[in-house]
Amino acid sequence: MSSDEDAVSTGRDGLDPREALGIIDQQRRRAATTEPSSALITGAWGAAWLVGYGALWASARDDGTPGVAAAALAIGLGVVAVAATVWHTAHRSRGIRGVSAVEGALYGFAWPVGFTAQGLIVGGIAGAGASPEVVAVAANSIAALVVALLYVAGGALWHERLLYGLGVWIALVAGAAAFAGVPCTYLVMGLAGGGVALVASLVVGLRARRAAAAGAPA
Amino acid sequence: MSDDALDPVIHAQARLRVVATLAALGRGDRIAFPRLQRLLDMTAGNLSTHLRRLEEAEYVSITKTYEGRTPVTYVELTGAGRLAFERYTEQLRALLGGVS
Repeated sequence: MSSDEDAVSTGRDGLDPREALGIIDQQRRRAATTEPSSALITGAWGAAWLVGYGALWASARDDGTPGVAAAALAIGLGVVAVAATVWHTAHRSRGIRGVSAVEGALYGFAWPVGFTAQGLIVGGIAGAGASPEVVAVAANSIAALVVALLYVAGGALWHERLLYGLGVWIALVAGAAAFAGVPCTYLVMGLAGGGVALVASLVVGLRARRAAAAGAPA
Repeated sequence: MSDDALDPVIHAQARLRVVATLAALGRGDRIAFPRLQRLLDMTAGNLSTHLRRLEEAEYVSITKTYEGRTPVTYVELTGAGRLAFERYTEQLRALLGGVS
């Protein structure tokens, strides 16, 4: 379309209303690439949870204690998901400053704060003499609660229903997982948490793609 | 409102694309010139020309600043620009008989 720009700047003005609305719609979709995709981020987290918690459950089935390899895999996947989220968000929002950058930074900062508090609480529970099983259940559920409430906050902040709904769901899963006991708690987190997040992100992502295809000028 | 002529500052393909892109960003957000250029697939010279026209109409504000030692230019839709764009899209819809 760039050849038309010169024509316009030299004074030709043959834009009809339908064409103009098409241009507005097209640029709105283009500008949407400056925002992180919540479908992509929740998809990455869903996959990390599904595989990570799946490994913890599989290795803890016999004696109730996850193996070192499974724990390392779960932690590694968590780190990869954090890195992917940070990279994706920074990549999408590069060159954008102002209100949403400040909101994003304040929101992003809440994640390490939440997980630091989670670590301290779990450490405190262990220090107070809790058994390894109590520590495992508390660590699991509190981490999920942190994620759940931050999803809810993000969903409210950006009017993202997927994020908000998933946050509500994960909060309930975190509560249910606390009653499941070790190692079932890992299975609940993996399937009901990670699995559902993955499926929801796929559905929302595909729907958005279909809407974009339908909205494109014929 | 629909009887008025379409705003000539906005009703030109290239500037409409610029304004629509800026309006799609959050209120109070500004965008670096090179990023805006990429979202529009325009040459720097072409984009500058249209931005000057929009700035004269006070529809965009342009901030030149430094990040470290690199000069950066940020572009933002003003309140007046957002209002003009909203009125313009309403007029388009009215012209099409309320088809959204």
